[in-house]
Amino acid sequence: MNSIAKQYTQGNVNPVSREINDAMAELATPPQLGLAPTLQLPPISQPTDFLRAHTDDATNPDCKIKIAHGTTTLAFRFQGGIIVAVDSRATAGNWIASQTVNKVIRINPKLLGTMAGGAADCQYWETWLGSQCRLYELRNKERISVAAASKILSNLVYEYKGMGLSMGTMICGVTKKEGPTIFYVDSDGTRLKGDLFCVGSGQTFAYGVLDSDYKWDLTVEEALYLGKRSILAATHRDAYSGGSINLYHVSEEGWEYHGNYNVGDIFWDIKAKEHSFVNVET
Amino acid sequence: MSDPSSINGGAAVAMVGKDCVAIASDLRLGNQSLGVSNNFEKVFQFGDKTFLGLTGLASDVTTLSQVFRLKTNLYKLREERSIEPQTFANLVSSTLYEKRFGPYFIGPIVAGLDSKTDKPFICGFDLIGCIDFAKDFIVSGTASDQLYGMCESLYEPNLEPEDLFETISQALLNAVDRDALSGWGCVVYVITKDRVVKRVLRTRQD
Amino acid sequence: MDIIIGLTVKEGTIIATSKAATRGISILKDNDDKTRQLNSHNLIAYTGESGDTVQFAEYIQANIQLSTMRENEIELSPKAVASFVRNQLATSIRSRKPYQVNALIGGYDTKTQKPSLSWVDYLGTYVELPYGAHGYSAFYCTSLFDKHYRKDMTIDEGLKLLQMCVDELNRRMPIDFKGVYVKIVDAEGIRQIDFN
Repeated sequence: MNSIAKQYTQGNVNPVSREINDAMAELATPPQLGLAPTLQLPPISQPTDFLRAHTDDATNPDCKIKIAHGTTTLAFRFQGGIIVAVDSRATAGNWIASQTVNKVIRINPKLLGTMAGGAADCQYWETWLGSQCRLYELRNKERISVAAASKILSNLVYEYKGMGLSMGTMICGVTKKEGPTIFYVDSDGTRLKGDLFCVGSGQTFAYGVLDSDYKWDLTVEEALYLGKRSILAATHRDAYSGGSINLYHVSEEGWEYHGNYNVGDIFWDIKAKEHSFVNVET
Repeated sequence: MSDPSSINGGAAVAMVGKDCVAIASDLRLGNQSLGVSNNFEKVFQFGDKTFLGLTGLASDVTTLSQVFRLKTNLYKLREERSIEPQTFANLVSSTLYEKRFGPYFIGPIVAGLDSKTDKPFICGFDLIGCIDFAKDFIVSGTASDQLYGMCESLYEPNLEPEDLFETISQALLNAVDRDALSGWGCVVYVITKDRVVKRVLRTRQD
Repeated sequence: MDIIIGLTVKEGTIIATSKAATRGISILKDNDDKTRQLNSHNLIAYTGESGDTVQFAEYIQANIQLSTMRENEIELSPKAVASFVRNQLATSIRSRKPYQVNALIGGYDTKTQKPSLSWVDYLGTYVELPYGAHGYSAFYCTSLFDKHYRKDMTIDEGLKLLQMCVDELNRRMPIDFKGVYVKIVDAEGIRQIDFN
């Protein structure tokens, strides 16, 4: 409103109105913290092309900088809230860089973000989202909605579209007015609200198991197992997923961590219990 | 990606012990990221105590194992004895070099005991047949970097068969656990003067 | 991409192939059968480069039938058929114009009375599997098979599992594949059954 008004008023004629205008302008732009990081760009004519040529595995398999990729993450809504389950493997090419990556980012006590694609991109921007959500709380004296939080992230990544950001994430949480909500946000700028998402190189395997047993009326215990089982299916078949499974349940009270399960151990337990994976010799 | 030698994935290793040798491989066969079979052995027997490990493009692994079965069977008919590891290594080398300008995309390793002297023999090859004689161990496959690391740190000379089994197993197991395209079970052969023992190892399934 | 799924059950092998024949942005045909019968107990299902697929499958079919005639009506076993197919593809991949065909061979060995499923790709990779698929369908179906497949399943149970796979593909695949044809290879031979 102020900026529109200024457009149609005459230039600063007297020092008093100038002072008022300056004060208005200062308030209009949010205060920038000196400590807040800024992103540097390579000092060349086309930084976007340069970055893509050297880091994008899909367009240039011989690229020298391999950004950690490969994941299976899922989140679904049901009668009892939301289940979030993820694997923990990070790969750079065929090299398993880590089996203990934390792919769920705890944005605040009521909000979770999952991580797929560029590990650093997700980690950085979802932490950044955490601070934006906190600032919103301080400014507005109420907790941010999941819709608004996910929109902050999707608007941010859209600013960087075409510059090589790589992330596929689910923002999950509960608020008074929304109830349990999941938003899928990726680095193309896509933002979708939905009941059930699987993201990452192992998504199809997880979808297979999840779709076949998913019902709205699942109990919390059943839902936790289904989430865990779907990730297990993906870690088994997808070379770029594995390590261990991290499980979360989000309810009215906020998220609750349900533990870390090493695939090397629980695979055999579940195989014995379900009589499944019959192609694997014991 | 689309590099023929890392489409299917897989790893193999051979080690020398005291009057014994061991050769082992993983069991995975994949199609890029998708695991297809967990029962694809990459170690083949071509004589009483002559073994070949073959990693690389699965199509060529099958083709070559069949070629060598043919050649060693004909050898046995002509010579009325089974082929020695040393001789077999030269057969592998010349067979691979025949395809110098359109090679098989594989990484072969040979392990065995000489039937006369009972002396251990191992060697490895590049894909066109250059023999790499080694006194200690030979590695091959998509987890070869990891295998070098494991073998360099775990290996010691003159191990007894049981200790050799433990060493080669730990080397392979821990190497394939750091490679996305290898694993899904392992098989280990320990070859001594009077017997060959095959063991299947239980591994992580992710 | 076309859908090809196969699984072995106690009494036989079940093979399912999609009915749609797609070129570019159009579906040209919604009743395309992507299988060829090789002999009384062997069936090949194929996917891959258009043109190559049918040419290759019929070449295999002709050669297997020739073998049956030459060998005085003694038919090749599933393993022999699969080895022959593999060998042709492995030779072809190093030729000037390789066949870009992936195949599943469903068979029933009348001597050992065992069903078999062979997975062969255009490179000449060959493995025997209890269940398998080619193309994108493998990414959706293998996790379902891993969870629900049992060694001693009946044909009916196998078809129920197949139905789960087709439902999932209908749900998640971005293009309509127009349903599947389902064929069963067992002691009696090869037969097509009603599905959907």
